[in-house]
Amino acid sequence: MIFFYAALLVGVAALLAVARLILGPSVPDRVVALDTLNTLVVAAMVLLGAAYSRTIYIDIAIVYALLSYIGTLVIARYLQGGLM
Amino acid sequence: MNDMGLIVRTLARATIPLIGIFGAYIVSHGHLTPGGGFQGGATIAGAGILFLIAFGLEEAKKRINKNLYSALEGIGGLVFLGAAMLGLSVAFFYNLLWHKGPILNGHPGSLLSAGYLPIMNLAVGLKVFTGLVSALMAIALYRRWQK
Repeated sequence: MIFFYAALLVGVAALLAVARLILGPSVPDRVVALDTLNTLVVAAMVLLGAAYSRTIYIDIAIVYALLSYIGTLVIARYLQGGLM
Repeated sequence: MNDMGLIVRTLARATIPLIGIFGAYIVSHGHLTPGGGFQGGATIAGAGILFLIAFGLEEAKKRINKNLYSALEGIGGLVFLGAAMLGLSVAFFYNLLWHKGPILNGHPGSLLSAGYLPIMNLAVGLKVFTGLVSALMAIALYRRWQK
């Protein structure tokens, strides 16, 4: 049960990150908010995998962590002006 | 500015094999854990995207052979069709390897079980990986806005 409360706290933090994602005045603000949101989603996935006591759910968290890193990198690559 | 900085390139050298091995794990354990051919293939294609982003288009053009990737995508589809036609003496998509096969008929839950499903997962993973990498290379090579 403690893992559900921890996941709820992570959800509250994710809501704050979503608020910055909506309100952010500039584009890099939104990118940082998205990166924070990705990390929080990974944390929530691990906590919910522990809450439902399924070890195979951790695989999805690993895949999401790797692919969200690539997504952030693509946006950064676009923002720095270095097109392909 | 054709590639990213030193930190990103060094991190990509460490991360690309990790993503590739994890994608191969997802593909090969498609009948036991969540995931399968499409998910694992898309994960390995993420490694290809990371290579393209971190090392630039010129390096990727030298390493990625268009004809090889096109041929491998076709081979993936043909292997899927061939595995589907193995038990054609009974029915289409009849799992002959599971019912009376020499291998891949182990105890359910082990890696060498489930008949033709691992072969089909490998075929779909190969097809999805090569298809996505080819599509992204074609999009990256387009560059019509500079003319």
